[in-house]
Amino acid sequence: MATTVSSATALAQQGQPARNATGFMGWILSPERRGPLLVTPAIITLFVVNIFPLLWSFGLSFYEYKANRIAPPVFAGLANYRYVLTDPGIWERFGNTAVIVVGSVVLQLVVGFLLALLFAQEFPLRRYLLMLILSPMMLSLSAVGVFFKLFYDPTLGFISRFISLFTTDTFVILSTPARATIAVVVADAWMWSPFVMLLVLAGLVSVPKYLYEAAEIDRAGRWRRFRTITFPYIRSLLLLALLFRTIETFKIFDIVYLLTEGGPGSSTETVSVYVYRLAFQFFRTSQASALGYIMVFAVVVLTSLYLYAIQTRQSEA
Amino acid sequence: MDEIRLDRLTKRFGELVAVDQANLTVGQGEVMCLLGPSGCGKTTMLRMIAGLEWATSGDIWIGGKRVNDLPARDRNVAMTFQFYALYPSLPVQDNLAYPLYAENLSKAEIAKRVAQVSEALDLKSILKRRPHQLSEGEKQRVAVGRSIVRDPTCFLFDEPLSRLDIQLRQTMRTQIKEVLTKLDKPTVIVTHDQIEALTMADRIAVMQLGKVEQIATPHDLFARPANLFVASFIGTPQMNLMPAGVADVGGPESDGSVSARFSLLGETISARVNNGVAALGSGAKVTLGIRPRSFEFANGSATDCLHASVDLIEPMGAEMLVHLIEQGVDMRCVVPSATHISVGDRVSVRCKSGQLHVFDNAGKLVG
Amino acid sequence: MSERREVRAIGQAGWGRTLGAGIVSLIYFFPVYFILMTAFKTRPDALAMPIKFFFSPTLANFYSVFWRADIQGGGVTNSGFSLYFFNSLFISGTSVTLALIIGTAAAYAFSRFPLRGNDTYLFIILTTRMLPPIIAIIPIFVLFRVFGLSGSYTGIIALYTAFNLPFSIWMVKSFFDDLDRDIEDAGRMDGSSEWSVFRKICLPQIYGGLAATFVFAVILTWNEFLFALMLTGTETRTVPVAIARTIGGQVGVDWGLMSAIETLFIIPVVVVTFLLQNQLLRGVTFGTIRK
Repeated sequence: MATTVSSATALAQQGQPARNATGFMGWILSPERRGPLLVTPAIITLFVVNIFPLLWSFGLSFYEYKANRIAPPVFAGLANYRYVLTDPGIWERFGNTAVIVVGSVVLQLVVGFLLALLFAQEFPLRRYLLMLILSPMMLSLSAVGVFFKLFYDPTLGFISRFISLFTTDTFVILSTPARATIAVVVADAWMWSPFVMLLVLAGLVSVPKYLYEAAEIDRAGRWRRFRTITFPYIRSLLLLALLFRTIETFKIFDIVYLLTEGGPGSSTETVSVYVYRLAFQFFRTSQASALGYIMVFAVVVLTSLYLYAIQTRQSEA
Repeated sequence: MDEIRLDRLTKRFGELVAVDQANLTVGQGEVMCLLGPSGCGKTTMLRMIAGLEWATSGDIWIGGKRVNDLPARDRNVAMTFQFYALYPSLPVQDNLAYPLYAENLSKAEIAKRVAQVSEALDLKSILKRRPHQLSEGEKQRVAVGRSIVRDPTCFLFDEPLSRLDIQLRQTMRTQIKEVLTKLDKPTVIVTHDQIEALTMADRIAVMQLGKVEQIATPHDLFARPANLFVASFIGTPQMNLMPAGVADVGGPESDGSVSARFSLLGETISARVNNGVAALGSGAKVTLGIRPRSFEFANGSATDCLHASVDLIEPMGAEMLVHLIEQGVDMRCVVPSATHISVGDRVSVRCKSGQLHVFDNAGKLVG
Repeated sequence: MSERREVRAIGQAGWGRTLGAGIVSLIYFFPVYFILMTAFKTRPDALAMPIKFFFSPTLANFYSVFWRADIQGGGVTNSGFSLYFFNSLFISGTSVTLALIIGTAAAYAFSRFPLRGNDTYLFIILTTRMLPPIIAIIPIFVLFRVFGLSGSYTGIIALYTAFNLPFSIWMVKSFFDDLDRDIEDAGRMDGSSEWSVFRKICLPQIYGGLAATFVFAVILTWNEFLFALMLTGTETRTVPVAIARTIGGQVGVDWGLMSAIETLFIIPVVVVTFLLQNQLLRGVTFGTIRK
């Protein structure tokens, strides 16, 4: 797969035209403009479809507006934000979200990492077993939500039945607050651990073989080998996985909504679900926007921290 | 007895025979070079000694112990890799100390040895740096340092100088040779560069396509190459190899040598040869090998000369490389720059006495 | 004394590993297996406890996916699922392809022509993904209404393209970052235009990475629910929405039907992932590792 210098020469010799130098095309394709030119379509698309609506709803969060009333928005300053931040229920929901995010992401990292270790070497049938492990990622969220609800059902679900083999009577999951949270965490982690596995596997596979050979000659023990050779290679990937998965899990909606609808009570109601409720059940549209933006702020802060950590690691590497 | 011994060592990758029945001995304190073109099996052989590849058949003995079934870590060998294989996440001093952790030494002892090695290889100024911040030469010295910081049964080097520039190569060659002589352990160096081999080795094993063609001191390889391959591989510029026929063989002389005459390129030249050549008999097809520096110009009337035209002259400083051509056969000879010839001249050349090599039609040296 | 056991070099494992990995994989795969199995079960079989592993399979569920029995006596009507499957395929495929094209161009620019605020721009692009979909729904819904894009292909494709852009840009940029510049410079010096250098030197090296990004993006887009719910119409509806509408009005869940739909729905993703598996590993490897 390596492209060599000789093939570079070969393709040049096929009579490629010289660099554009004159005229309008020259101006447009000149080196300074090339970068911005290539980026423009992306920026435009993102702006129109993503950024503009974001700005619009940001503006909306400062008004009083309900989507099911005809009345036009009334300017309300920070009222929405104040309301949202002082609502004690909000903090509970942030807490729920934090628990689910931390639980699920940690579980994904651990399971994904272990799975990657398992698949790091070539062995017979590896391709097919790998497909089995990747399959949860390919299901639609609605299917996962609906079916895991069945799996957790006290009488009809195999998970509950399996656990009830070890307890005295039927094991109820989704109606019990703490267990419901765990149920959500497990379902989400189950679905996304393969993603982490792929990233870590990529790292494991990329370690140059001769480093392990040198370690073998140097008689290094397994733990030392892992610490000094393997881990540095996968560290950046674990960080990447951590970053992506945390952002995604923070927004988690579908699985939670389908499994528990935020219940029992509001013990598994994440911030996303609450925003949905505010917007589409109670039609408190502007408050929903405000809360949503607080969420965004939280995620931005988190992401900045991660990126900062990555930068410092890279510069000292 | 600290030696390395290979006994009919063979390595097969499926149908491909990478190393074929190799026999080799490296004595204590001896530096053995495995020399040959790409694909000749030298690296595979080295890796088998190290324990990174398993032998298909044959035996490997290190320090009097048969090590075929031992993994690399139990063989107590030290190896310097072609790409250095320095641990990227560790600074130089930890790279150097790495092999010592397996020996249960005290921290003080480890630090002492690291200091010794960094002194010997001039690494003091870069001890805290990471491998990606080092130059090629520095990386190479660290890799060597990592090998010598321990007390292994033998040293193995895989193309140690191939990634260095010419000047650095010369410096490192001397430095490594000094270090190895001091350490007095059997050493095997793999290289494709004959200059490296000729300068660093006590003995050289020339390999081609898995077979060991000849094992000899650099001098003997040069003076008495065992077959056509070794003859053409060793020595720059390359030896002239010309097909010829034995015209006739004379009777034995007083000193045991025989006089024989060869016909090539329309000429007949006579030379002193040994019994082996004589035994070939007249009419036998042979290949004559004459090194470029074994030619001397003669004036037109001299006997035992070959006549050719000068095709190209390459100045080489104090000498010059003259390309001759006759009947479609190219010959190279090296003469002092002061010689007066020009392109197109017709010249007579003669092989200096005793420097003619005769190879039979199977390619083996006979005389 | 010389012929030996087969021993592997470092990095090779044998059937023992297969056994261990096999057990783990099967356990991990079990819930998926349950879903697939249920597609072939009759209603009572589906809910039987303990789980019925041996049953007489039926294809009735698959039939019901596409043809639904009329409520008022007799006959069957086309449930429209063939249209929904097509919609999902078309919409996902187009939007991911578009995102890759636009994204690769942008990624190349970010990688090869870095501007002063490069990191900032990239960060802003990343933040567009951070917003919970719930928030963006309302303004986008209004926007679509205003421009008449509701229920059209163009609208939802444009939206999904924008969704996939940040991920594509980030991934593809890291692939470009890791390429060996020497080869490109060699090409430039030999007289190739910038476009040729891009097309014939850079691109071929990252095909694996592009494949990996394609697969990830397709998986995410294929299963997207919320925006599809709000913004597709009767003609452009995607399967996840159709699933929701199917269970919506019924009494109890028809598990067999659900499974059948999901099984059919998962096939393209499985096929694509399987075909691109090697590319995937190689691509993810090649891209996100620093040398």
